Amino acid sequence: MTRALFGRLALYLTAIVIAIYSAFPVYWMIVSSTRAPQEMFSSSSLWPGPFTGEYYSNLLELTDYPAQFINSLTVALITVVVTMVFSVIIAYAVTRQRIRGKKVIVASMLYAYMFPPLLIAIPMYTFFTRIGLGDTLTSLVAAHLTMTLPLGVWFLWGFFKNMPFELEEAAMVDGCTRLGAFLRVVLPLSLPGLLTVAIFSFLLSWTDYTFALIMIGSDANKTVPVGLASMIGSFDLRWGEIMAGSTLIALPLFGAFALLSQYFIQGMSAGAVKG
Amino acid sequence: MSSKATFTLFLIIGLLVTLALIAAPVVYAISLSFYTMDSFVADPEWIGLANYARILSTGAFWNALGNGLVYSISTIVLQVVLGIGMALVLNQAFPGRNLVRGLSILPYLLPTVVIVLTFKWMVDGSIGILTKAIAALGLPPIHWFESPQAAMASSVMVSVWLWTPFVTTAFLAGLQTVPTSLYEAAKVDGTNAIQRFYHITLPMLKPVLTVVVLLRAVWTFNKFDVIWLLTGGGPVGSTEHLAILSYTTAFTKFDIGGGATIATLSFLFLAISVFIYFRIFPLDEEES
Repeated sequence: MTRALFGRLALYLTAIVIAIYSAFPVYWMIVSSTRAPQEMFSSSSLWPGPFTGEYYSNLLELTDYPAQFINSLTVALITVVVTMVFSVIIAYAVTRQRIRGKKVIVASMLYAYMFPPLLIAIPMYTFFTRIGLGDTLTSLVAAHLTMTLPLGVWFLWGFFKNMPFELEEAAMVDGCTRLGAFLRVVLPLSLPGLLTVAIFSFLLSWTDYTFALIMIGSDANKTVPVGLASMIGSFDLRWGEIMAGSTLIALPLFGAFALLSQYFIQGMSAGAVKG
Repeated sequence: MSSKATFTLFLIIGLLVTLALIAAPVVYAISLSFYTMDSFVADPEWIGLANYARILSTGAFWNALGNGLVYSISTIVLQVVLGIGMALVLNQAFPGRNLVRGLSILPYLLPTVVIVLTFKWMVDGSIGILTKAIAALGLPPIHWFESPQAAMASSVMVSVWLWTPFVTTAFLAGLQTVPTSLYEAAKVDGTNAIQRFYHITLPMLKPVLTVVVLLRAVWTFNKFDVIWLLTGGGPVGSTEHLAILSYTTAFTKFDIGGGATIATLSFLFLAISVFIYFRIFPLDEEES
């Protein structure tokens, strides 16, 4: 009896340790971003407060942060849309037909999982610089697509493969064309898969530092991760503003996770996610 | 549109996009490795295998390969052990389990930049919360990035924190597929929890583990930003791995052919490793 009690206690304790280990840095980031400057240096209280909104207003009024936030959002949204369109088309063509070109696509997508980022970034940067599109958001979207497209194709491939052919055939017997059956039957039924692909494409693009560092040079075109990282290089470390900026990048992700956690977990369990 | 035409159109679009975005950059990168080019707009000059001969004869390349292996292997071993441990705990029933499961995924959602900046803030030399906690415990201060060993250990630690949720989630999903009747039967036979883990859980989850270890290995080996942001490859090249070496070669020394060569060699090394891995741990034939 006491042994069982001891076991329970150990379990609860471990669970608490896991929770603190995983969440403390996030908690501390948010606490630091709202703690008044004098207290920030003297106090080591773990409770939040005394509060200030100073760092956030500095960040939004005195730095390029708002513009960079818009850049990040633009790049991520375009990446998501393009990824969805092409990965649906490719995955569908690959699952529903035995054709020659299929192998090329599947093999490329498999290898793309293993590409070192510099193997993509060096030629892309060279190419876009040479055609006069260096340092543009367009070039960054193209770079992000090399990560998100293989993810989308692999994930949707698995999804379409498990969808019975009979569904489309029934729709076609009822007078739908192939395209009609695809648009009216296959797509609506794939909504959970599409949502997962959208979420992870957004996540990859939104959090990317490596490609943004290489493809973007000017302050005006920087995305938030690169902009924020360059704050730490400057001579006085403004930890309050840095933590405020970090909180603001992370916030949309937490919001999305709270609303759509089942899709996050589904995608992660499928092992489909690069990180 | 006829059904055949729709398919053909889909396939052509698919092929074009794949060629333009995936195949073309890689072919271009590999071809750049046969040229010398000292700026991104200069005309490349063919030099055959000279870049390879030069890169392979430098100590920096082998140092970076070694660092990459130390970093990847320690990160993977630690995150797999920790991830499996967490999954086993989170698979038990206790109040608030869903909350703890949710929290355990948090690190994976954060951008690398945020993780690195928060870590640097927590270990800040004078006012970081970890620095203060260590001082309060009466321990000597830790210099997280100053010695080669410390810089590598810090990089591994941050990476493990960031990627453990991936292993935890995959393993937790796998655990749901193990029939409870197996455990019941083993219990009747008088086995203890450790025996059940080794003889039931691990063998049942071997396919999940094989894939997770492979994916993590590939991505960890390729990961650029964690170490770059934490240490920049220093001190004195002690945490410089192939991704960083390739980056600095191409973008700070403007030796573009050299950078492309390192990236190509790095990919070649990975492709061979993955091939060997599949020989040792074959996947079941259910894929393709």
